[in-house]
Amino acid sequence: MATSRKVTLLSSDGESFEVEQSVAVESITIKDSIEEGSAGNPIPVPKVNSKILAKVIEYCKKHVESAKAEDRVDDEDLVAWDADFVKVDQATLFDLIRAANFLNIKSLLDLTCQTVADMIKGKTPEEKRKTFTIRNDFTPEEEEEVRRENQWAFE
Amino acid sequence: MPPELLRDVLMRIEKSESTWPPRKNVVACAGVCRNWREIMKEIVKTREVSGKLTFPISLKQPGPRDSLLQCYIKRNRSNQTYYLYLSLDQALNEDGKFLLAARKLRRPTCTDYVISLNPDDMSKGSSTYIGKLRSNFLGTKFTAFDAQPPSAGSRVMKSRSTRLVNFKQVSPKVPAGNYPAVHISYELNVLGSSRGPRRMQCVLDAIPASSIEPGGVAPTQTEFVSSTLDTFPSFSFFRSKSTRVENLESGRPMSAPKDGMLVLKNKSPRWHEQLQCWCLNFHGRVTVASVKNFQLVASPEQGVAGTEHENVILQFGKVGKDVFTMDYQYPISAFQSFAICLSSFDTRIACE
Repeated sequence: MATSRKVTLLSSDGESFEVEQSVAVESITIKDSIEEGSAGNPIPVPKVNSKILAKVIEYCKKHVESAKAEDRVDDEDLVAWDADFVKVDQATLFDLIRAANFLNIKSLLDLTCQTVADMIKGKTPEEKRKTFTIRNDFTPEEEEEVRRENQWAFE
Repeated sequence: MPPELLRDVLMRIEKSESTWPPRKNVVACAGVCRNWREIMKEIVKTREVSGKLTFPISLKQPGPRDSLLQCYIKRNRSNQTYYLYLSLDQALNEDGKFLLAARKLRRPTCTDYVISLNPDDMSKGSSTYIGKLRSNFLGTKFTAFDAQPPSAGSRVMKSRSTRLVNFKQVSPKVPAGNYPAVHISYELNVLGSSRGPRRMQCVLDAIPASSIEPGGVAPTQTEFVSSTLDTFPSFSFFRSKSTRVENLESGRPMSAPKDGMLVLKNKSPRWHEQLQCWCLNFHGRVTVASVKNFQLVASPEQGVAGTEHENVILQFGKVGKDVFTMDYQYPISAFQSFAICLSSFDTRIACE
């Protein structure tokens, strides 16, 4: 039975989070700095504020727990949990992507990027622009080209 | 969205939407804004070696190396139109992605097939006009014309050099022209039509014979140059610029147009002693015997090593009353393949 070592993570806005080391090392960034002995105590996590760090920790906890569970958590259940987890507003989603990228948590990065990809798919270009508040900056020529491409693709 | 993460997301979409119809999402992403378009086109380009069809320009690009891209053609006799589709699965059912349409126009001294991206708009003045196939009076010789020059929009380097950006900015409007792309000719088998199918030869103007040698490359159009009906006076200026761009790419002078063009000929069938007939192995892709069926390989006279010239580059044949399969691969494009197959419909050489 492994001793449950705890570490403290410090968000960019100064809030501390005490977590099991097994959870913290879901982040390769944190794992590396612990192994190199360069992690402070608490371990500072710049660029990630407390709101997002709390969510990230929640994700890592859940995934570590399901991997360890005596009666293995059904994959389907975990997938459903993940789907709920990413039901957040767009700004939070992008913050989660940035955090997952910085902290190097591959599964969370995959999940969040895939969520964005799914938000994009199945929409017309105009709908995509609306979803992400993007300005249509095509020249009339380019617009014509786009129109022709889409007419052909959706034929 | 942070730029590097936008790229990650677009890459995921391109990878997951790898077949049609979902691949239309890739095209839709390239229609959102300039940034998305640039990124998505870049991603697709780096995977171009797969020969996947994504944007309409893919129809002008060489097919995949080492495997045949399976398509089929449906003939509609009532409106004299032929429709080319990409096959979506292995079975020969008619469930495909529309690619090109060709409409036959009989003229006093020849026949034209106008080829377009939009089956509802087959006019030559339209932005969806891709090219045409023209036959001679006897229906023995055909020329496929490309609406834009072979080097149109040739992108050379991955990195954006100033010179290249300038070239693109200067990219002139060229007249919706007729640039010869393929010359096709038919003749009777010298041993008589009972001794084998008619002989077919295709000369591809813009593809060098070296393209099928190891390490060879074929020219790749990367975008549609916008066309206008106004004549562009410095047409020769444009031409020389494009030649310079291609020189940069190959690092050696481009071979003079008339030398070393790729020549394809139809593969000679084998005589099947037991069945007492000439046979070609279409590997199940052709199920109805027809004089129009063919397989094209590189002409042996081009000095291509033994087995290489057995490599089937284009295969066409009947599977139903008005349905034909068309399978093609590098170095020819869907457009060139379609044009060649159309000529097979039209020519009356050796037809009973």
